[in-house]
Amino acid sequence: MFSLRRATRAYAGLARARGNATLQNSSQNVEITTPPPPPASTSAKSESVQTEPSDTAKQSPANPSSTKENVEESTNTKKRGRVWPTKRPSITLDRPRQYSRPIGVGALPVYDEALTYIKRDSKLRKEELEEYKSLLQRAESAPDWNPADIERLRDKIRILEIQSEVNLPSVRWKARNGLADLNQTVYRHLIEQRWREEGALDLLMERIYQMNVVPDMLPEMHPSFDLRVNFPEPPPQSTVLRNRTKRKYQKIEPGVFLLPEQTRKPPMMYTTVFHTEPRLYTMLMVDLDVPDLENQTYQTYLHWLQPNVSLSTFSQSPIPLTTTHTKYIPPHPQKGTHYHRYVLLFVPQAHATERMQIPVPTDEERLGFNYREFAEQYGLDAGRGGGAFMWREVWDETVSKIYQDVLKTEEPVFGRMPKPDPYAEVKQAKKYI
Amino acid sequence: MASTFLSLRKTRLPFRVGQTPVRHAGGQEINTSDPRKDLIRRVLYPTNIRNRASPTGTWLPDVGRRLQRAIPSVQAHETIERAWFLHQRHARRRRQAEAEKKFQCMWNAMEKLRELSPRLYEEANKGEDPRARSPAETEIWKSLKKSERRAFDSRIRGLFPRELRPPTDTPPTGGWNYDYQPTLRSSS
Repeated sequence: MFSLRRATRAYAGLARARGNATLQNSSQNVEITTPPPPPASTSAKSESVQTEPSDTAKQSPANPSSTKENVEESTNTKKRGRVWPTKRPSITLDRPRQYSRPIGVGALPVYDEALTYIKRDSKLRKEELEEYKSLLQRAESAPDWNPADIERLRDKIRILEIQSEVNLPSVRWKARNGLADLNQTVYRHLIEQRWREEGALDLLMERIYQMNVVPDMLPEMHPSFDLRVNFPEPPPQSTVLRNRTKRKYQKIEPGVFLLPEQTRKPPMMYTTVFHTEPRLYTMLMVDLDVPDLENQTYQTYLHWLQPNVSLSTFSQSPIPLTTTHTKYIPPHPQKGTHYHRYVLLFVPQAHATERMQIPVPTDEERLGFNYREFAEQYGLDAGRGGGAFMWREVWDETVSKIYQDVLKTEEPVFGRMPKPDPYAEVKQAKKYI
Repeated sequence: MASTFLSLRKTRLPFRVGQTPVRHAGGQEINTSDPRKDLIRRVLYPTNIRNRASPTGTWLPDVGRRLQRAIPSVQAHETIERAWFLHQRHARRRRQAEAEKKFQCMWNAMEKLRELSPRLYEEANKGEDPRARSPAETEIWKSLKKSERRAFDSRIRGLFPRELRPPTDTPPTGGWNYDYQPTLRSSS
């Protein structure tokens, strides 16, 4: 609207400058060059459209709103111009809602038929499931069964548990609306499917591959659980409110730029893990773009390391990490360098229940940390599963403070070497005789 | 003229042409005496009001209403789709299981034959060219006319008869041949 008013003021001048197609019938050119005069008799809608020649920005929303009104009128002729909410209602486990049918009985006969078919199939699967469960019980007690066969039986039972309920509309609705009970296999399956197929994992992997984290840091990465990282929000625009508002933690999209003051403290990490048995992961956070002056290249810096983090579907979320194996050092991208990439990685340990003893790296060992060597030494394979996250940062004045308070070293400033001045002698000599 | 140019220089043109106001003229037919003028006017100033469906239906003004009619509920649509795919899956699995059983029976029979008589097993395993003509059939073939020979060759066992003609919009001008006798092979 603001820019539109500018346009109308500009247009007022333009109208005088335009030769053809003036709105008013000018005295000079009447015959061909003028557009046809506006119609005398019009419908109500077109009149409302044409009586406001200046507010033409309304034209573009007028069309969709008119179609929306058509839709509303077809469904609810009594209430005209009612605003239909476009946001999904806020349903969570704390504020649950009962599932109800989307359309009434008999409104769509094919829907009722589909529902009958699905329910019948679900009942048959459940009966099959009971048989397999009793078979498994007998197999586990009997000593002559092959463990591979028992494993296959368990897989079959898992598949049947999912198949018996995955088609039920109430189950699918609950999974979609935050009422999933992760104790049940079918809900875990649906939530995992959603994470994998509806874009969250794709976005993360896109950012990881586009930012070249994969070949630079590790050869292969296949996340197996959903890791969501929250950092405090950036400071408000107004300097008055800067120190007067409490910064809330907000969710971060993978790959975005963050301010160093946002990452001053360790993040809140929320997980949705899809295996019920607790497994041990090693968490580490590295900076991939620390300059290496001797070799004129870049090296990695280890910011944070915590082995033996136990994760499962029922483990606490956010991950409680009060004191960690290696102290959290906040990211400090150096002045004069390009943006730095920071990667937060959860790697599954070689044995799911065996705790690893890793010596605490010193500050010197943090710089030049080689992840590939570390992984080979301790048998960590990110290709087997785990979780990942990454973001980027650029130098800020906060980084100077980090160097002062946390690292307690002199802040390095990177830049190009000063070039020798080819005109230094000429400048010394006299210019004019 | 100079004043208009000066005003042009002073005015700040909007970057977005879309925000420049354009008068919406309806497609009224102003019939003057000269049809050329009418044509030129119609070409220069087409109607800007878009509330009719495009000729091929790429834009419809009541898309929302149509969508609502076709798919009143996304959830219901998904449920119906899932039920249909489930039904197709069950049918496919039944068909595959049936075919598998038949194949297994055939396999077992052939295994038995191999144990009992290797020579007959060899004979049974030989592939047969259904187009081939046996010596007796060749004798019959020699006595036929050209068109009859073609008809004789076209009836291949296991394939649709090549005498089949694709359906046409109108029946043949000669009418239906009620006295047609197909030239069959002695074996079929």
